[in-house]
Amino acid sequence: MGSFFNTYGFLLTSMVLAASLALSLYLPLMAGQLSLASPGFYALGGYIAAVLSTRYPAAGNTLFPLWRLLAEMLLAGLASGVLAVLVGVPALRLRGIYLALATIAFVEILRVLSLNLAITGGAVGIFGIPQPFSTQIGYLWIAGPLLLLSMLFTYRLERIRVGRAFVALREDELAADSMGISPTCYKVLAFTLGAVLAGVVGAISAHFLNTWNARQGTFDASISYLAFVLIGGSRTFVGPVVGGLVLTALPELLRALTGVSGLPPWLGQFLRDGRLIIYGALIAIGAVFFPQGLITPDLLSRWRKLQP
Amino acid sequence: MTAPSPVAAPDIVLEARGMTRRFGGLVAVDNVSFGVQRGELFGLIGPNGAGKTTLFNLITGLTPPSAGTLLHRGQVVTGLRPHRIAARGIARTFQNIRLFGELSALQNVMIAQHTQGRAGMFASLVAAPAARREERDLRERAMALLELVGLAGRANAKARNFAYGDQRRLEIARALALQPDLLLLDEPAAGMNPNEKATLTDFIRSIRAQFGLTILLIEHHVPLVMGLCDRVAVLDFGHLIALGDPAQVQNNPAVIEAYLGE
Repeated sequence: MGSFFNTYGFLLTSMVLAASLALSLYLPLMAGQLSLASPGFYALGGYIAAVLSTRYPAAGNTLFPLWRLLAEMLLAGLASGVLAVLVGVPALRLRGIYLALATIAFVEILRVLSLNLAITGGAVGIFGIPQPFSTQIGYLWIAGPLLLLSMLFTYRLERIRVGRAFVALREDELAADSMGISPTCYKVLAFTLGAVLAGVVGAISAHFLNTWNARQGTFDASISYLAFVLIGGSRTFVGPVVGGLVLTALPELLRALTGVSGLPPWLGQFLRDGRLIIYGALIAIGAVFFPQGLITPDLLSRWRKLQP
Repeated sequence: MTAPSPVAAPDIVLEARGMTRRFGGLVAVDNVSFGVQRGELFGLIGPNGAGKTTLFNLITGLTPPSAGTLLHRGQVVTGLRPHRIAARGIARTFQNIRLFGELSALQNVMIAQHTQGRAGMFASLVAAPAARREERDLRERAMALLELVGLAGRANAKARNFAYGDQRRLEIARALALQPDLLLLDEPAAGMNPNEKATLTDFIRSIRAQFGLTILLIEHHVPLVMGLCDRVAVLDFGHLIALGDPAQVQNNPAVIEAYLGE
């Protein structure tokens, strides 16, 4: 068991972080807003953690203090939240695919800024970010509770007045407006909640990855997170979490499959070298056969009924 | 255009003054003025394309007027966003039903209780006792409304799976959840058979009494309007061509011409 965790520590933590990022995309989507801004806030949160921890290194040769990591996460969440309100108020006037385009532009602006600013280390980025844990699996102590807390938060959100306002906006904005729900207010709130989560995940990831640069949180990442949500299912918070966990693990699972004995060498080689092709094909197949995602509210309620 | 007088008559719930809406060259609603009294059942009829629904959209803020003033309980509400107007107590149903189809009947009604919730987001998230009590109260009131429209037994069914007439009743329950003082019904009897129409007439009368409502109603089925409404306004090509009690309106030559042609 111990060796399993040591071998797969990086993967497990990556899976948990990916699931959290998928949730950060799901939150605005709950209110019907297709925002791809998460990678931007993720990058921002990462830079905040990277800059703070490398400019003011911990005294001595010890591990980076945990309270400082938590403080960075808090700060990253706050900064992302403020930026989200500033960006969200004008951007959320746009609908559907236009909002998606605007948020991609936002991610791109942040990327170009980080590529050219001195404080973000330019093209080289920031490296040697201090480690609060001696092993990579240690990060699960932060990432795991964060994911569980976010899941609990979203679960409760789906059952209270604010969450109902989100869902009403997703279903029919005009009708929701006529029922006394302010579209601007709740869209910005949903967008901001997603941004805060993405920023916090960024702060953890900067330490976890040890280096942070303009390649973190790009358009590619936007599309990956979107795939987590769409393949996992966009109508319940369970969907993005499952999507994030499974799709992050999939390439590594395919790699591991090559080691299975008895496999013809050509198949093993294809599984290893062509794993990204298979990954892409599975996403396409998933989109065709599970257009609502793997996990849907109907599926969940059927499971609930099966239990005595 | 006349400036709104500081003191409107207290028994006027809704007053339209010179309401006008142009869409490009088309004048959908042209200088329409009328007042609806508290407790009144006010009918709005007219041929297709007369501007009835546009007038509803002007009243509920979904379409901003090109000109004119709208007063609700003596206060100018022209230019307010739809959710503000709804929060003031003007609720509506839609001609082409706009339920939240993927959600349950109960959720549909509870969404419309939005403005009644007082508990903060954090208190609700952690299910603080006060927030939990509020949530339970809202749920009970929503169930009572579903009971009222005869849908309590299917509270957890998805709205889009309801029969047409049930969807119309659910829309009324949702509008009532706003606790309005003015209810706008856009063709509530559309698609109903004569039996259902008779039931609906009684139902509209009873909710008016029970909730102390003022009701503004668009309807194509003229006998239903004539039997139900205290006063009737007739729109034709955006103009208000007649306004009065049903008997007067029915015998008005301009109305007969609008309906039957020359």
